[in-house]
Amino acid sequence: MNAKLTARDRMARLLSVIPWVTQHEGAAIDEIERRFDYPRDLLLLDLQEVVFFVGVHPFTPDQLIEVDISDDKVWIRYADWFARPLRLSPEEAAKLLTTARAALQLTDGDDPPDPLTRALTKLGTVLGAQADQAIDVRLGEARAEIIDVIRQAIDRRIRVAIDYYSYGRDEVSHREVDPVRVFSDQGNWYLDAWCHTVGAQRMFRVDRIIGAEAGETPVDESRQAQPASFIAAPGDPRVLLRLDATAKWVTEQYPCESVSHGPDGTLDVRLVVTEIPWLERLLLRLGPAAEITEADPPVSPDLIGAAARRILALYDA
Amino acid sequence: MSKLERLLNLTAALLDSAVPLTAEQIQRRVTGYPPERSAFRRMFERDKADLREMNVPLTIAPDPDTDPPVDGYLINRSEYVGADVRFEPDELAALHLATNLVRLDGAERGLVKLGGGAADDESQIGLIPFDDLLATLVSAAAGQRAVRFTYSDAERTVEPWRLSFAKGHWYLSGWDRLREDDRLYRVDRLDGPIRDVGKAEHPVTNTSDPGSLRGWELGDSDPVAAVVKIDPDHAAWAHHVFGGVEPSPDGSFVARVQVRNIEAFRSAVITFLDHAEIVSPPAIRDDMVRWLEAQS
Repeated sequence: MNAKLTARDRMARLLSVIPWVTQHEGAAIDEIERRFDYPRDLLLLDLQEVVFFVGVHPFTPDQLIEVDISDDKVWIRYADWFARPLRLSPEEAAKLLTTARAALQLTDGDDPPDPLTRALTKLGTVLGAQADQAIDVRLGEARAEIIDVIRQAIDRRIRVAIDYYSYGRDEVSHREVDPVRVFSDQGNWYLDAWCHTVGAQRMFRVDRIIGAEAGETPVDESRQAQPASFIAAPGDPRVLLRLDATAKWVTEQYPCESVSHGPDGTLDVRLVVTEIPWLERLLLRLGPAAEITEADPPVSPDLIGAAARRILALYDA
Repeated sequence: MSKLERLLNLTAALLDSAVPLTAEQIQRRVTGYPPERSAFRRMFERDKADLREMNVPLTIAPDPDTDPPVDGYLINRSEYVGADVRFEPDELAALHLATNLVRLDGAERGLVKLGGGAADDESQIGLIPFDDLLATLVSAAAGQRAVRFTYSDAERTVEPWRLSFAKGHWYLSGWDRLREDDRLYRVDRLDGPIRDVGKAEHPVTNTSDPGSLRGWELGDSDPVAAVVKIDPDHAAWAHHVFGGVEPSPDGSFVARVQVRNIEAFRSAVITFLDHAEIVSPPAIRDDMVRWLEAQS
């Protein structure tokens, strides 16, 4: 979290900090800073210059909060109005509960995380009787055993052999990779790895890894792992598509270099095309909802027609 | 006097008083407000909005000492504290670890409020999209409340049962009161505002699991059995896409699926280009032929 806290952010923190310090007399500034994500200087300032003057009418000494700070420790007294912290909102509880559910899935198979289970139950009491049924999270559809092989290989720093279905090229290939990182984003698992087969760093969709086997070969440590990305090279082919409003999902599903909105609800999107079958599929699926308005380098004007006829050949019994 | 100090004083005053305080009393008793009436009003309106935004339960009730009654403001202590859940240190540590593994916008705010610390975003390996609309639905499902919202341009009254994140999307399953059936909705196609329309009444019967549901299984029409024939070298991928394939005597593979949404099914089959063919039923096969002919 960043250090630019608004008055409301600070207020929200103080409503938790005050009751906590009241119960933990002589709490260390460091610990308050860490627990409540409250930058030290701001925390000291707010305690000494603000909380110290908070109270109720008629603001006589017995109606004011008392704050003592010495030796990097804090005492707060007479803050009866703030004896307990402000409740968690349903939104806050729902977000924490979902996070905890997802984490529980990631730690599946390890020791049963009892404290996490207890925390989930408590968060549930904030939300209602059906809380334990209310949320179900799947981070991705990839097979758990493949993720396991990869996670272990990352820990042991060894190479993995994978059979990978390349959607763009529409083929299965065998590759030797040094895994760097495995992560889930928007419902898909990705493997970021150095691919020995192509001699470059690549991002793989884990659900398209058909098989994975870790051997004993250590990863090539001389290779400086860089965060791989989907960012295309300047020389990659590009197309400009005009999409109907109904095809807006394209902008959510694929990284578009640019999107501009036409007055009639149409969209002009620029996409990087690294493989032709990928473009054929996209356009065949979209049908009349899309047309190529520009391509660099040019693509055959009959690209889609030819692809459609190739499929239709299957149907001419 | 800072805004922070004024907000704290206002909250303390409203928690301290057993009876509602009128705006006039607040102006007099809470330090930090200007004496001029309209300036006070503007500032007080903003402060009330801030408190509500922070989920402080600010309520309005008539002051019993006034005649005719004048509305006053009050914060009920037990509402303020809510369920008053107290987390053990190991539970907070477990939640902290969870936020270190999974990135979900806004989750950290609740944890910081509990004193569990900020997350380390370097170590997060899972990312889940989440927004307040979703939180409202979760809260309705957990609290057994019925809600009303717009979906596919139609108003729906639904008793939410479960929110499921699968294949990168959030789904809501629940009881649709008008259709008298359990239904599944894509949350990103649902338009707010979501209105609470009272207690849920229908028992939870739904067992459909969006994690195993495919796009063509999501629709309002009755399911139709369809068969797809797939080239052998695409069998593994087809297994993944269709949830299972079986070998057929001619060396190819077949997938059998239930289709409720023809468009989504067509899209899925097209991703195999000329490596997959819809065998049956004739209506869906013909739809594919017409679709491709229009483009050939």
